[in-house]
Amino acid sequence: MDTNEYLQSVLSGQSLGDDSGELKELQTQRAVVEKLIRESFGAVPIIRYGGSKAKGTLIKESYDLDIVCYLPSDSDAAGTTLQEIYENVRNCLNKGYIVEEKTSALRLKGKTADNYMRDFHIDVVPGRFTDEDKSDCFIHQNSADKCRLKTNLDVHISHVLGSGVVDAIRLLKLWKTRKGIRVKQFVFELLIIDLIDGKKAKPLPEQLKHVWEEISSSSDPIHVEDPANPSGNDLADVMKAAWPALKSEATNTLNTIKWSGWEAVFGKVSVSKSATVAEKAQRASAFVSTPNKPWCPRG
Amino acid sequence: MKAPWYERNTPLLEATRTELTTQYSDLRVVIEHGTFHIRGSFPVMDGAEVMDRFLIEIKFPFDYPESIPVLREVGGRIPWHEDRHVIPGNGEACPIIPEEWLIRPDYDSVLAFLNGPVRNFFLGQILVESGQPWPFGERSHGLPGLIEAYGEVLGTSDEHTLRRYLDCLSREALKGHWECPCGSTKRLRDCHLNEVKSLRERILPRVAQQAINRLDELSARQRKIQHT
Repeated sequence: MDTNEYLQSVLSGQSLGDDSGELKELQTQRAVVEKLIRESFGAVPIIRYGGSKAKGTLIKESYDLDIVCYLPSDSDAAGTTLQEIYENVRNCLNKGYIVEEKTSALRLKGKTADNYMRDFHIDVVPGRFTDEDKSDCFIHQNSADKCRLKTNLDVHISHVLGSGVVDAIRLLKLWKTRKGIRVKQFVFELLIIDLIDGKKAKPLPEQLKHVWEEISSSSDPIHVEDPANPSGNDLADVMKAAWPALKSEATNTLNTIKWSGWEAVFGKVSVSKSATVAEKAQRASAFVSTPNKPWCPRG
Repeated sequence: MKAPWYERNTPLLEATRTELTTQYSDLRVVIEHGTFHIRGSFPVMDGAEVMDRFLIEIKFPFDYPESIPVLREVGGRIPWHEDRHVIPGNGEACPIIPEEWLIRPDYDSVLAFLNGPVRNFFLGQILVESGQPWPFGERSHGLPGLIEAYGEVLGTSDEHTLRRYLDCLSREALKGHWECPCGSTKRLRDCHLNEVKSLRERILPRVAQQAINRLDELSARQRKIQHT
């Protein structure tokens, strides 16, 4: 297996099939979310998938479902201001979930005792279209300099889908996830697309190495632009905050490839499908030399 | 103010970094707001194969390795529930009773922590997710779990006797004329002196004191709950 085939195998292992348990659960939760929103605001809100599901960049190890809930520009069904829309959607979702407020999104977590704080990997993004075209949209921003942000879901989706580097984006998302680097995925995707522009014809391993080399060699954060709002959405702070970790890990990764090869970066690709994870865990438990029992101070 | 452990004990810092690099290349060190963390994807290995992964954050206390690192699963996969051994209020995982860890000879090795309690915890979570029991059993919640664990080390399940043993072990020096902690009312030198000496080789006075403090804290909480 050459490096390209190896990376394709890593990607295959990160696919979430339509019949996978993870996607089925996401779809079940989406139905619950839609029901809660419709019960509160009727048929007016436009509810659709955004994020990695729409952009084709889902990976098994970090699958978030973005659901946008946009109101038409002339509708007051969920409130008159963006903040009211954000808060009213939050309140309606609170009936079924613990809702964590992010900058513009509402993160849904389990509310029942057996699911308490379990992350459903669902972000609901409330907003309102700027006009009748239903293309550009304003979303509310918590704890940010500007309390509203103009965005465009279709522009974002087509920017990623049309980039021709979705495989590289998925692998670098996996890398970022495994390294625990905290940078907004959308901003990271913009960086990858910009860096690989001009190298799209190169094989996947070269695309990845190019991204890491560019990050590693740049002492200052690389500037990226939001295609949906080039002048109004300044991403410099996001990039600045993540740059030391990105740079350091990019350098480490290039060294790892040099000395230990690609498997040291993305791991061995499992070929055996005979045993389930639970069966493997059961077997592995039997070989633990120093077992210990978990505890909880409460209860 | 006392400097954090990673400034006071640079050999341990270097050893921790080296150990991580050798086996857990996806876990990285982050020093944030003066606190040492490890973050990233924890691979649950089955031989050379990664059977599953969990996103984790481990916060090292200011006085590490004298206190146990705090583990959190940050991917949101594990519910915050006592039965999953995650504290509902703050999401802290409880892979092992702290003093059970602190009496191990390799308590200052991050690799031993990751390959031991952390891996065992996630092996258990994989099995519990699939409806199976914890592979090595689990401690009772709260005070009873502490008494079980301390009792296994000290050889008694009676809380009063446990406390007497811990009190004895928490002193800097032993005196033969003290009353034996076993409750016989005999002098220590005429009763369990050798056993206590042997325990002192494993359990440092500060660890015994931490155990007493933890017992006190949970006893007080239990009394408060019973009162209300």
